[in-house]
Amino acid sequence: MAVFVAEHVSGFEPVPDDSPAVSAGPGGNASMPKVLLIEDDRQTANEIMAELVERGYEVDWAATGIEGLDRARAGQADAMIVDRLLPGMDGLTIIEALRQALIRTPVLVLSALGAVNDRVRGLRAGGDDYLTKPFALVELVARIEALLRRPGESRDTAVRVGPLELDLLSRSAKRGDRSIELLPREFRLLEYMMRRKDQLLTRAMLFEEVWNYKFLPQSNLVDVHMGRLRRKVDLPDEQAMIHNVRGEGFILRAPA
Amino acid sequence: MFAAKALFCVRLPEFTRSTTFRWTLVASGAFTLCILLMFGFVLAQAYWYMAVDVDGLNAGVAESIATKDGLEARIGRLEEYLRVDPHNVKLGGLFDAAGQRIAGNIESLPPELSPGAGPQLVSLVKIGVPSQERRSARAEARRLPDGSMLVVARLDYEITWIVRSLERALALGLIPALCLGLGAGAFLSIRAQRRVEEVNRKIKRIVAGDLRERLPTQGTQDAFDKLAALVNGMLDEIEALVRSIAGVGDDIAHDLRSPLTRVRVGLERARQNARTLDDLRGAVDRSIVGLDQSLSIITALLRITEIEHSRRLAGFGRVELADVVREVGDLYEPIAEDKHVRLAVAARENAAVNGDRDLLLEAIANLVDNAVKFTPEGGRVEVSLHQTDNEAIVRVCDTGPGIAPAERDLVGRRFYRGDKSRCAEGLGLGLSLVNAIVKLHGFRFNISGGPGCVAEIAGPTRQRAVA
Repeated sequence: MAVFVAEHVSGFEPVPDDSPAVSAGPGGNASMPKVLLIEDDRQTANEIMAELVERGYEVDWAATGIEGLDRARAGQADAMIVDRLLPGMDGLTIIEALRQALIRTPVLVLSALGAVNDRVRGLRAGGDDYLTKPFALVELVARIEALLRRPGESRDTAVRVGPLELDLLSRSAKRGDRSIELLPREFRLLEYMMRRKDQLLTRAMLFEEVWNYKFLPQSNLVDVHMGRLRRKVDLPDEQAMIHNVRGEGFILRAPA
Repeated sequence: MFAAKALFCVRLPEFTRSTTFRWTLVASGAFTLCILLMFGFVLAQAYWYMAVDVDGLNAGVAESIATKDGLEARIGRLEEYLRVDPHNVKLGGLFDAAGQRIAGNIESLPPELSPGAGPQLVSLVKIGVPSQERRSARAEARRLPDGSMLVVARLDYEITWIVRSLERALALGLIPALCLGLGAGAFLSIRAQRRVEEVNRKIKRIVAGDLRERLPTQGTQDAFDKLAALVNGMLDEIEALVRSIAGVGDDIAHDLRSPLTRVRVGLERARQNARTLDDLRGAVDRSIVGLDQSLSIITALLRITEIEHSRRLAGFGRVELADVVREVGDLYEPIAEDKHVRLAVAARENAAVNGDRDLLLEAIANLVDNAVKFTPEGGRVEVSLHQTDNEAIVRVCDTGPGIAPAERDLVGRRFYRGDKSRCAEGLGLGLSLVNAIVKLHGFRFNISGGPGCVAEIAGPTRQRAVA
């Protein structure tokens, strides 16, 4: 066990320019986003910190609710990860306290309670996203990324990424001059991805946000739907815009 | 000392503390009181009746003597009256104005006697009787015109005797009745006590963990039997639940062990045999898939528990089933197409039910998910919505291998999984979930055989409110 921890302590050193898969990670040190992690389990905390540091985040760790609330009140974090079951305090209490103090730092709630009701409670308390333990680290990073780069409320009637263009009024899509026929669900999926271009979007995120379902049947549902959308957006002779990150999710990027 | 102690230690038998016995005591007491009251009434009535009778007799005799003219005639009449006295109860006397006896068998004028005051109870001494004691009698006294006093009396021991015999009859009847009552009470309470003790014994065994034990019934349909039957019904339910939980434990253990074993073996082998980093990565990837599988089983179980424990009606509202069916169709159409399975959706009818939209969608999605999964290439899955007079039916038919009739009922049972589905990857606990959702709604779920498998969810339609 000691060896294990030691290995990860060494992992805290920033790893320059070697971030895997997600090239969409935040850029140079000057704008290193700060994440406050409130989590009582040391081992889990170490893994999360190692992963986030590797991807270019600055991580501050609080092991108890009281400590976490103090640091959150300082308001230096760009995003927070809060475990629900903390010694001495419920994670939701921290979030409620922050929201009452008008601190709007986006919060990702972590919980071993996976029930839909618990999830609803977490989001209602002011959490911005909810992730059930155990989770894939990729999922966690993707969600933190999504929270940090959450698109603001926009009144635009069109969304553009490279040659791809969505007209939100006429519900029509075009790539260059070629118009694309989309089913309503495909349109929503594409809009969601275009608003979050260059971000890794996991299957669970898409399923929750685009389909609005809280359960994920044991199927490759998202993959199949995504495959269809991809065939419409990226013709064989065109440069691909929708990228499948193996085992992790999807990214939409403007062609280079 | 010891004797005193022993006396204190004497305890009444167990049954005397039973409720039945106490009630018997109360009932016996009330019964005794009733009898006493009744006898008292009878006695009072008898006494009063006989006293009136005797008084009437005395008054008649006194009248017949008083109306005679002359002392001699009166004495003659009195003596004639006294002469015939087989029961030795007649008394009579004539006294002069000074109170000296002139004739009759009364020794002296009783001091308490007041003439002309009607019938009264006096005590007097009869002449010619050896004991010479004062005896109680009912008397009639009259002062005659010549100043003399006429007394006609009758000993009341007849009345006393009759009262005594009535009292004796009462005692003779009451004591056995009381004993009988107490005996019946003791018998009943001992019997009840025995049943209670037997029930207690059985309950102790059940509490100790023997869930197969049942309370004894006697088939008499009395309160005891009904209670026992009720408790037995409860025990049946508990036993079934405990068994199903035990079964769940086995199922979970089985379902979790299989992927975890694969993970463990895979990691172990990779540790020894992997030559390259890619070998190792491959093994780790397979392990993660295995772990995810185990986790999804836990998630599904928790979800089922969540649904089973959620309060009904909390998120219930009007659900248009046609929308839900179409949505599920849209969701699975690409998947079916990829698998070269035709997915046909027929939801022309518009039926609304009372329910939780998300849950109903989850249930129907699970049925379609299963159907698509088990239908071989080139097959067909049909999702349709039907409406009968008062029921909306969502039917999912497929051309897959179907479910054997013997297994159809079992499928509805919690956590049961057919052997065929066990082999298919990733079924999870789909049908159990459907079952839980349908139960929460109070709908019907049944599986029948068509060419493949026909699964139906049926629920009462909700009428549009009439404005």
